[in-house]
Amino acid sequence: MSLLEVANVDTAYGAVAVNRDVSLSVAEGEIATILGPNGAGKSTLMRAICGLLKPKRGRIMLDGHDVTGLPPDRLAKLGVVMVPEGRRIFADLTVRENLRLGAYSREDQGEVEADIGRMESYFSILADKRSAKGGELSGGQQQMLAIARGLMARPRLLLLDEPSLGLSPLMVREVQSVIIDVRKNFGAAVLLVEQNAGLALSVAARGYLMQSGKIVLASAIADLRDSTLMRELYLGGGKRPPIKSRDVETL
Amino acid sequence: MEIFLQQLVNSLSVASVIILIGIGITLIFGLTGIINFAHGEFLMIGGMTTWLVVSNGGGFIIGLVAAVLFVGLLGFVLERGLFRLTLDRPMNGFIISLGLIVVLQHFVIRFWNSYQKSIPEPLSGVWEIGGVQIIVMRAVVVLITAVVVAITFFGISRSRYGLALRASVADQETASLMGVPVRRYITGVFIYGSMLAGLGGALMIALFPITPFIGSTIVVRGFAVALIGGLGNVAGAVVAGLVLGLMDGLSAGYGLPEWTEAYSFALMILILLLRPNGLLGGTAGPRAV
Ligand SMILES: Nc1ncnc2c1ncn2[C@@H]1O[C@H](COP(=O)(O)OP(=O)(O)OP(=O)(O)O)[C@@H](O)[C@H]1O
Ligand SMILES: [Mg+2]
Repeated sequence: MSLLEVANVDTAYGAVAVNRDVSLSVAEGEIATILGPNGAGKSTLMRAICGLLKPKRGRIMLDGHDVTGLPPDRLAKLGVVMVPEGRRIFADLTVRENLRLGAYSREDQGEVEADIGRMESYFSILADKRSAKGGELSGGQQQMLAIARGLMARPRLLLLDEPSLGLSPLMVREVQSVIIDVRKNFGAAVLLVEQNAGLALSVAARGYLMQSGKIVLASAIADLRDSTLMRELYLGGGKRPPIKSRDVETL
Repeated sequence: MEIFLQQLVNSLSVASVIILIGIGITLIFGLTGIINFAHGEFLMIGGMTTWLVVSNGGGFIIGLVAAVLFVGLLGFVLERGLFRLTLDRPMNGFIISLGLIVVLQHFVIRFWNSYQKSIPEPLSGVWEIGGVQIIVMRAVVVLITAVVVAITFFGISRSRYGLALRASVADQETASLMGVPVRRYITGVFIYGSMLAGLGGALMIALFPITPFIGSTIVVRGFAVALIGGLGNVAGAVVAGLVLGLMDGLSAGYGLPEWTEAYSFALMILILLLRPNGLLGGTAGPRAV
């Protein structure tokens, strides 16, 4: 049984339909990715999964239990946590306060301090800046904080919405290794939305391609990489060079 | 100098009541964007509750506790029954609060009357410290407020719940992603703000007689304090309340006491011109979702 199962989900903002009949799944401890052009509806789907937006139709299942329409704070308690697009760091709270807040949903409040220590030893920048305000960090540092804050909930599924957005190539590489470690060291499954296809293809085991609100391709990552549709999309769009396996490896 | 100190203690006791109101206003606005003009009526109801208890033979302490609990309950009912429905459009909450002013005032006038009500001074006596005469009840009002402010302040700046509250004021959506039940915090803040208004009403009637119309004068000063301090900023409300209290004391002691109100509004305008976000910085309301 999958950890997350999205079945035939439609979403809309008021009368404006976004996602149509979306189905996907993420297994326990798996890294999956959703790729697709701007405005395809990736973030909207992520909002539906984490409870910020109620789907119009379809079901969202966690461990086989129906969690459709639960509010985000309940889903956080169940282990589904999103690191939103644009990081959304609490600018006036200190780095430590941001981390502590990430653990709000946990029952074992006694272990929160120890976990903050874990985050600080893994993300050393957070230890250096622990008393700085969130707003004083650079974009890359904020992204690390956003991921660490999400991990503080000890999630079973971490939803990452464009973690590489606006980061330098060096920082993108750092994000890449962090995502791999989220699974390895922190035991969470990851659903990753990315514009940077190279990054997504290099970390994920399973990929979905979304276009105009629909999933147009779902497959193991190697097949996705080599699919004509993928090549056409990223060639034809003219935004990005074609993706070759070589790029992925040297990313 | 003695006169000044005496005036200062007197105006601090009035400032205390205004600070209690200002904290509720600033917290509710910070979290919901609702400008609750009925908050002064909550204070009036608190005063009337105390009056009712005391005039039926209860002690002042019982009256005070009754006021805090009853107004807290009122805040809970109004939030769940009315304000909750306006969270997407805080402007509607503001309009509802204007309607509530009329309803709450007329409720009191219909069931009792519109005359001023008073209770016997709960604590009589004057302390004399180095030539300065301090009315005991006024000092007690300042003391109670100081304790409540300290508890509020530490609750917000140190506790896990205060952290979640500050995060919710900054960004409700992201706070909810971290597991914070923001709706419950909104209810909690309404209840807490209302309880402070109830307390303010009880302390106020211990100092002066009050009428069912006291709410509007108080709420305007409460807003001045919330704005000067920075909306959503509790420490700011306290500082602003003290500044206004000091202004009152100075103008009553040295300037022209009949201009007291004008001084504080002139000060408010000046501060907002220089620092549009208030003395300690505030919020423009919750981030639109
Ligand atoms: N709050 C909103 N209200 C109305 N429409 C919205 C809202 N947010 C997004 N949309 C619309 O929904 C569609 C999908 O947006 P979404 O943000 O999900 O795309 P995306 O795939 O995440 O794009 P990007 O890669 O640029 O982040 C877009 O056409 C967008 O204009
Ligand atoms: Mg997006």
